[in-house]
Amino acid sequence: MAVAAHILAAVDHLNLRYIQALDDLSMEGWLNSFSPAADSAYVCISEENDRRGLPLALMLDDCRARLEDRVTFVTKIWAGTFQPYRTRHFVQRLACEAREEGLCQAVSNFSVTLIQEDGTARLLTTGVYQDVISLTEAGAFIKTRRAVYDANVLPQYFVYPI
Amino acid sequence: MDMPGDQSVAAKAAWPLIWPRKLNQIPKEVFVSPGLFEAELKTIFHGDIWHPVAHAAELPNPGDFKTFSLGRTPLLITRGADGKINVLVNSCTHRGTQVEMCAAGNRKEFECPYHRWAFEISGELIGCPGMSEFSPDFDKSRYGLARLRSAEFLGVVFATMGDNTPALAQWLGEDMIRAMKVILGDGRLKLLGYQKVRYQVNWKAYNDNDGYHAGLLHTAFRLLNWQGGKGAQFMTENGHMSIMAELQPLRNVGFLKDPSLITFKGQDPAKRASVLELFPIGVMVKHLDTINIRFAIAHSHDCTEVHYAYFAHQDDDEEMLRHRTRQASNLLGPCGMISMEDASIFQRIHIGSFSPGVAEFQKGVKDPYALPVDVAQNDETGQLPKWEYYRRLMNFQRAEI
Repeated sequence: MAVAAHILAAVDHLNLRYIQALDDLSMEGWLNSFSPAADSAYVCISEENDRRGLPLALMLDDCRARLEDRVTFVTKIWAGTFQPYRTRHFVQRLACEAREEGLCQAVSNFSVTLIQEDGTARLLTTGVYQDVISLTEAGAFIKTRRAVYDANVLPQYFVYPI
Repeated sequence: MDMPGDQSVAAKAAWPLIWPRKLNQIPKEVFVSPGLFEAELKTIFHGDIWHPVAHAAELPNPGDFKTFSLGRTPLLITRGADGKINVLVNSCTHRGTQVEMCAAGNRKEFECPYHRWAFEISGELIGCPGMSEFSPDFDKSRYGLARLRSAEFLGVVFATMGDNTPALAQWLGEDMIRAMKVILGDGRLKLLGYQKVRYQVNWKAYNDNDGYHAGLLHTAFRLLNWQGGKGAQFMTENGHMSIMAELQPLRNVGFLKDPSLITFKGQDPAKRASVLELFPIGVMVKHLDTINIRFAIAHSHDCTEVHYAYFAHQDDDEEMLRHRTRQASNLLGPCGMISMEDASIFQRIHIGSFSPGVAEFQKGVKDPYALPVDVAQNDETGQLPKWEYYRRLMNFQRAEI
């Protein structure tokens, strides 16, 4: 079933809000990309674990409370400990399908460049977002996002979600 | 004990570094020297020492394999049709071509693509095209994939390239065997998955985590009242150490909206946390219900790759599996709630070590000229026997004064 143009626009707008928030190092903005529902979720998992059916993730926030706890960790508990860095995210929607009323399912490619204090940039990883998106009058919000990253051996640790 | 020091005469000649007389001082040069790393490869990574390279739960079925590295030597670890685990060199016995490229999988046999030599899962050579025209003394039975000596304890597969490595139980010692039992239970584990990352740090700094830093670097430890202080450290004279922490009961002081993540469903509160650091870079950790083995690869003087492997127990029910998965995913890895900070200091140690002088150990030092006897949970002296072992192994001489 074809997806209406205004829905595609809402999904794209959501993806852009999401990467803009992360590139601005705004964990609040990241959190605000998710649906306020208690079961909204974010899972960041390696391609290897995903392909082999291994459940372990790099970040596993399976409820809204966990998403909020991740914001607390990055902005308060870890503040001043990790090496400062920022990112440039690029996102490209590949597919979008309508599901039951008010929901759609989307797949997008992403790539993340990590930039150190001195401006040195390196590719952190590429990957695929597998999403269930909630469509509301206020716009599109992530119900669940599974970020499957390609760098099975990550080139370095990182702190912010991708 | 016997020291395999003879091999490191070359190291001594190439590295006339004089070690400080005080046992709590480590020359920073050892963290940043590319030439020293070459000597360490020979003496330590390819020498008379056991290295954890896999857990049996990573290879549950015949035909399962994983690739790994011991220093720069590529390994192919397989479970043969007979159910036994083989630690092989991932290099064709013909011209040395890498045989298997994947990180893990299941095969009926291995085939080198170059000249189609085929090998059994357990490493024996099956056959090669044109064999009737090989040299008259070619003996097929001598051309299986090279095999490392290996031994297993609680499912952990250890391998060694040395000719004189002592028996595994002797090399581990009673204290480390006890720590492994606390961490791995009966060893009947189930693989939950991996977090793999490269750190820009020397392997000796990667595996130098002390009891002193735990409540200081790791803010969450403090916030969650995990700063026990009860417990003890155990060291062996061949460089191993373990910390058995008796942590205080967990107290969520309100900053976590989902404290279910850090609940402890296990049976024995005294065993809420244990860390085992086997010389040189084998780490096993149990924290709450998270069971973690860190298989590490020393790639170079400035790059250490760590495969954090997480496990459940084979007898876990669905609820326990889910609990272990969400706790393990968020607690101890490179982005973990109480371990991200370790990752964050590795590269800073490396950058800072390009400077003259020594790294100091102070907390718990009673006599700087003697190895510690009693080490409390929050002391950093637990690292000193390991450093003394390393110094003797690499044949560095201490200063006279």
